[in-house]
Formats: sequence, structure tokens, C-alpha cells
Amino acid sequence: MLLRNEGFRRLCRARERLQQVDECAPTIEELARELRISPFHFIRQFEMVFGVTPHQYRIQARLDRARQLLAAGQLSVTDVCMEVGFSSLGSFSSLFARRFGESPSAFRRRVHASDLTPGCLSLMGAPRDRSFREA
Amino acid sequence: MRIKLTSVMVDDQEKALRFYTDVLGFRKKHDLPVGEFRWITVTSPEGPDDLELALEPNANPAGRTFQQAMFTQGIPLAAFQVDDLPAEFARLSARGVAFTKAPTPAGPVTLAVFADTCGNLIQLYQRV
Repeated sequence: MLLRNEGFRRLCRARERLQQVDECAPTIEELARELRISPFHFIRQFEMVFGVTPHQYRIQARLDRARQLLAAGQLSVTDVCMEVGFSSLGSFSSLFARRFGESPSAFRRRVHASDLTPGCLSLMGAPRDRSFREA
Repeated sequence: MRIKLTSVMVDDQEKALRFYTDVLGFRKKHDLPVGEFRWITVTSPEGPDDLELALEPNANPAGRTFQQAMFTQGIPLAAFQVDDLPAEFARLSARGVAFTKAPTPAGPVTLAVFADTCGNLIQLYQRV
């Protein structure tokens, strides 16, 4: 498949929109309509470019955001679940464990039990008022 | 001093390993567990066996932001040389690879660009 400039730009915009977790997050059908292609072609093109379907991409983006929030440690697992747009704690925990190999609560405990090293992933998700010296 | 190893950041190492081997045709050289990630390298069947490409996990949010911005701007993050670009373009297109640039003359080379399904654009080039 050869993507023309406009088609490529639209897919990139769709990817950004799929990272939205608020109430205005668009459905797959709405995104396809914005791209002026059928949902079938949108899903097919998106998967060829990004290796996952739009739905899978949205779930992954939400789980990645959840991981960052859990590493920051200011929100409970339930709060994080709601914050990233999941309505069921059970499905959130199950999807999180499938992607990262441990439950959200186990991840939260592990990150906060370990020392933070400047530059590491856990530090990037740490509270803003925590200095390198404290870390 | 020699260059023996380079890398591309990937959003999913398992998916990347499948794409870089099954689709592009590289060979897996190393696949070792490193904490929650893996140290995965591939080599080209046409190139030296000790010249490796690492498929690095892009778990750092700053890295992801960089990768996504470069992708959106259409900038490739790696380039591979081929002997017959039209043939590679046809072979990879038949395997479902999405190109953003068809083979195009550009001075001393002809080049094409495709999405690696792992968050990167990759350039192929053939010397004229």
C-alpha cells in the first residue's frame, strides 16, 4: 500500500485522537468518518501502518498512561482506572496484567518499594516536587 | 573504533521481532531477557553477521514523544541499503507493508520510505 501525504497525515491525526482519554474521545466510526473512508479501510490502513488495530492502539495508550500515573503514586489503582477511561476495574486489571506481566497494584507496590535512579522510567513518572537529590 | 551495532526504538519488541524477521527478512541473532524487556538484535542475511541492529523497547515516555513526532513529520529513523529498490518495493508491498514514499530518484540514490509497524519510518535506498 502506498499512502499519499494527506492519507498519512490523517492517520497520524487519528493516532493522536486515539490517545485521548476524556469523554470526547471519538469512536472508531467517528474517526473513519473524519478520514472520509469506511471503518473497514480505516482499521486496515491503521493496522498496516501501526501494527495494531485502532481499538488495540487506544487500549495500549490508556494502559501506558495508567502505568505512568501508577508510577507517580498519587492516585489509587481505582482512581487511575477511571482516569484513563476504563469503567471496569476488573477488565482494567486484567488488560494491564496481560500487557505488563503484573497487576496494577503489584506494579504500584514494586515501583514504590524500589529506589528511584535519576533518568530511569520510574523517575519520569515521579511527583514533580521530588528532586533528584531526594531520589 | 568501529560501528558494529545500531538500534531502532520499537513500541513492542515481540511485534518488532516478527516484522523485522518475517517481513523484512532479517535474522534473529540475540534474544536475551533483560529485566522486564529483552535484548534483541537482528542481522542481515546479505551483510556481515556481526553488524547488528538492536530492537530497543521504547518504554521511556520522552522517547515515545520523540518517536511519534519524527513519525508524524515523516522523518525516517533508520535507513537500509538495497541492491534493487523497485524489487524490494514490490516484495514488501505484497507482504502488506505501507509505504509513504514510492521509489524516488534523489541525487546519487533512489529512495523509498515505509512504516515498520512499531512506530518508525524506515528509508530504503539504492545507489544509482
